[in-house]
Amino acid sequence: MIIMEDQDFDRLLKVCRIRLAEKEREAIKKDIDEVIAYFDTLESIDCSKYEPAYQPIEIPSRKRPDKIEAFKHAGKLLENSKIYRFFIVGPKV
Amino acid sequence: MTSSIKEFAKKDKPYDYYPRLLEELKKLNSKLNMFSNISDISSGFPFSVKDNICVNQVESTASSQILEGYVPPFDATAIERLRTAEFSFLGKTKMDEFGFGTFGINCKEHPRNPFDEKYVTGGSSAGSAAATAVLKYHVSIAESTGGSIACPAAFCGVVGFTPTYGLISRYGLIDYANSLDKIGIMARHSEDIRYVFDKIKGSDQYDTTCIDHEIASKTAEKLVIIDQLMKGVDDKVLSSFDKLLSRLENMGHKVAHESVPFIEKAIPAYYIISMAEASTNLARYTGFKYGLKINDFSKGYNEFFTEARSSFGPEAKRRVALGTFVRSASVKSKYYEKALRLRRMLIESLNGVLKDGLIISPTMPIKVPKISEAEGLDPVQIYGMDSITAPPNLSGLPHVSFPYDYVDGLPLGAQLITSHFNDYALLDFTERWEKQFEYRFKYNVGAL
Repeated sequence: MIIMEDQDFDRLLKVCRIRLAEKEREAIKKDIDEVIAYFDTLESIDCSKYEPAYQPIEIPSRKRPDKIEAFKHAGKLLENSKIYRFFIVGPKV
Repeated sequence: MTSSIKEFAKKDKPYDYYPRLLEELKKLNSKLNMFSNISDISSGFPFSVKDNICVNQVESTASSQILEGYVPPFDATAIERLRTAEFSFLGKTKMDEFGFGTFGINCKEHPRNPFDEKYVTGGSSAGSAAATAVLKYHVSIAESTGGSIACPAAFCGVVGFTPTYGLISRYGLIDYANSLDKIGIMARHSEDIRYVFDKIKGSDQYDTTCIDHEIASKTAEKLVIIDQLMKGVDDKVLSSFDKLLSRLENMGHKVAHESVPFIEKAIPAYYIISMAEASTNLARYTGFKYGLKINDFSKGYNEFFTEARSSFGPEAKRRVALGTFVRSASVKSKYYEKALRLRRMLIESLNGVLKDGLIISPTMPIKVPKISEAEGLDPVQIYGMDSITAPPNLSGLPHVSFPYDYVDGLPLGAQLITSHFNDYALLDFTERWEKQFEYRFKYNVGAL
């Protein structure tokens, strides 16, 4: 069973920023084909009259007041990163 | 007495109670791998926390290598509220990486079932369930996305409560799938769950999906069995479950059978939505902000990011790839949107059934499997194990798993589902059950 062509799978991995060794690639490709075939079992159901449920319950829209608050943990948050002054150091963009 | 919390408060404790408790627990942990770390507590009622919930100044990794070394500078709201109620943080419990698993084996040095170490604990709140089965006075703060509280609770013989979606703040939870994640509670007694639930529920300014809502306790005599959910249930499980139903009928309940169209499709719908959401949530692990650090900053962003993500486990890689695929423009309506519409359809159907009854079933379709058996299953077979826990999780419906029998020395759990915001009805039911049925445990660490 081949659902996804090799070139489409490689493109998907590139979009995901996931690199796989050849052996792992083969195993995961096979699993993904099987899982997609399993997802395809939804095809026979007609649920077009139902609106998509993005949440399982209705959650009233709630806004926070538009005011600046001091975040007491700001300094400590940076301890998890390499920092330069108050900037997190990251790779080149 | 049916509340460990009340009993613990009344008992006199020897001066060396906590050091002895910790010594015994650490010794057992080296065998059962329940905790990733244990704190030196010296007072209060102990609670453990699943490793995907942030605890101030305690490494929180969601059992993922990519978060190794991440130390949150804050408590999750649920933890902060529990500490205010004078509970004491005992340790972080192991889990399937990011919650991606049904058996608790998708992590390094995974937990083992306290009833028999050759068997799985269930997942993904694996360590939470095992710790609850081991400690006499303890509750665990766990989390469920698709059955991660009910499944391990059933396999480890404890009570696992998953509330209505949105009742407990998710602030401080390391997200798996935002529209499905629910913080919940595991304990040996339902009364303890009720006590903790009342302490930690309620709206939170840091989680706009968390709401204040009146919680009802509409009990029902009628227990409904959804016939499709019983297909594929192991014969030994079915036979024990029939005995449970007879017992419940003797307690005054009426058992009815109903059908819910397409309920068996809750599993693919659940996996499509959860993987879609997980693939976006996991994009935040870039190798320089949290946990694992790639220190070669000479690399370009994409290369740097790809290298960091090589530390994901195989299941995380699979789910990120599948989640990205189902969200892609060419197939989004076929998979993701369809799953969302199916979720709406199932919620409406289940609400109809739950108007005048509670839904009951075995929690899992199989007996507790051996670790070696679980390791031999392929992903589709593993996902299929969520056939009974996926529907309430997909629908945000409150549910509880409670022990009801022991077969070959291992526990069996039953699952009870009710309508949104009728959470207390579940705990009323299990409290009555616990007066009729005594739960068994192999260990009682910390007994007084």
